[in-house]
Amino acid sequence: MDLWRITWFTVLCAVAATLLVLPPAVVVAWLLARRRFPGRALVETIISLPLVMPPVATGLILLMLFGRRGAIGRLLERIGVDVVFTWKAVVLAMAIMGLPLLVRTARAGFEQVNERYEAVAATLGASPARIFLTISLPLAWPSVLGGAVLAFARALGEFGATIVVAGSIPGATRTLSVAIYTYAETGRDTQALALLLVSTAIAFAALFAANRLVERRAA
Amino acid sequence: MRVTPHRHSLRCARGGLLAAALTAIVSAGAAPDAQPAAVTVSAAVSLTDALTAVAERYGNEARGSVRFNFGASNTLARQIVNGAPADIFVSADEAQMDVVAAAGLLKDGTRFDLLTNQLAVVVPNDRPRTFKSVREIADPAFKRIAIGDPAAVPSGVYARQYLQQEGLWDAIAARVVPTSSVRAALAAVESGAADAAIVYRTDARVALRATVAWVVSADRGPRIRYPAAILKSADAAAAQRFLDYLRSDAAARIFERFGFARAAAPAAR
Repeated sequence: MDLWRITWFTVLCAVAATLLVLPPAVVVAWLLARRRFPGRALVETIISLPLVMPPVATGLILLMLFGRRGAIGRLLERIGVDVVFTWKAVVLAMAIMGLPLLVRTARAGFEQVNERYEAVAATLGASPARIFLTISLPLAWPSVLGGAVLAFARALGEFGATIVVAGSIPGATRTLSVAIYTYAETGRDTQALALLLVSTAIAFAALFAANRLVERRAA
Repeated sequence: MRVTPHRHSLRCARGGLLAAALTAIVSAGAAPDAQPAAVTVSAAVSLTDALTAVAERYGNEARGSVRFNFGASNTLARQIVNGAPADIFVSADEAQMDVVAAAGLLKDGTRFDLLTNQLAVVVPNDRPRTFKSVREIADPAFKRIAIGDPAAVPSGVYARQYLQQEGLWDAIAARVVPTSSVRAALAAVESGAADAAIVYRTDARVALRATVAWVVSADRGPRIRYPAAILKSADAAAAQRFLDYLRSDAAARIFERFGFARAAAPAAR
């Protein structure tokens, strides 16, 4: 059935997008929390941009970059990789939109880690990488996970950037929110309503889980 | 304590701003009483350039002002049925006008066929092509073909109808990228995201980065009609004035400049 195929596809893409941004986002979050480096404020601002920019504008930027006439798209075309109007574009849009939520939440988690633990580990001769992996990351883990769930939830609902860069191709790029829009636009209200219920249920579950994770960290 | 007066003045300034904003909103709401209200026209997005030019002339001749809501006709029809304010509806197909008619929202006797149009296949202008036959659209080089969503968007409905009649639909169906409107299909080709699109000949004319590969002749293609009508909720006199102007020779010349043809017999229903 269409409903389950669309739901499954959306969840899969959102998971892929979250996993894709998780490693770089954690590193950037830690750098922002613990290091002072030139351009730090700039990095912080650029990463947060998708949070406040119109998603359609973000989609347009992605389209200009990854389209056949775009700077990155032209290179990818040479090696035979198509992004625009494929599932890769869906994942890309979701990843970019989820990134700020993940970075900001994880960063707050790293900032809450008592710096003394890290300092003590350093005096005992642990390398920065080891401190990060055995102290900072485990202590900040609930926030990282909470941020990942938030990014996942945001990815599930992504619409503006997705419709621009991935379109609404049935069976290929049509996600929950895009399908709801398309169905509503073309007068298929019953299907739109069914998808609306599914997306509400998933978003509720994801947010509920994220809040529980962040609360547990705070307690 | 030095902070308090500052805060206070800030709050006052904010209050003043809010009051000013409210006044502006209220007076904006009241303004239409002072001068003749603008006619609101919900029109098929393919008419964007032509109707805007007609309305500009209408305004220059001091006949009145017109506001537009351009979109895919199916979107507009749904907006109107759900209570969106509009005085005139110009659809790109009969089916969407029928949707509004079925909801009992058309003013009796005002519906007529305004214009006709033709379909065209466009390709990005950095990969120009000219078809010898429409069969070339099945060429595997066209990996993605953008058309308005054939489930409802008029241009897509027409395109599917035409390709089915030519026996080509099944060959390209898997490569179709359905878009929310005909202009979105055109944009997909212009950005290079799609390899071809089926749009109206008139859209191809205003395209900057797409060229025509094939024009569907009027006798072989679907019968494309743009019906127009006044809605029951309209300010009837003002709406009728603009509708009459749309049928004038002055308007017809502008429509023709953009590639539209006047519907042969303006049969009022």
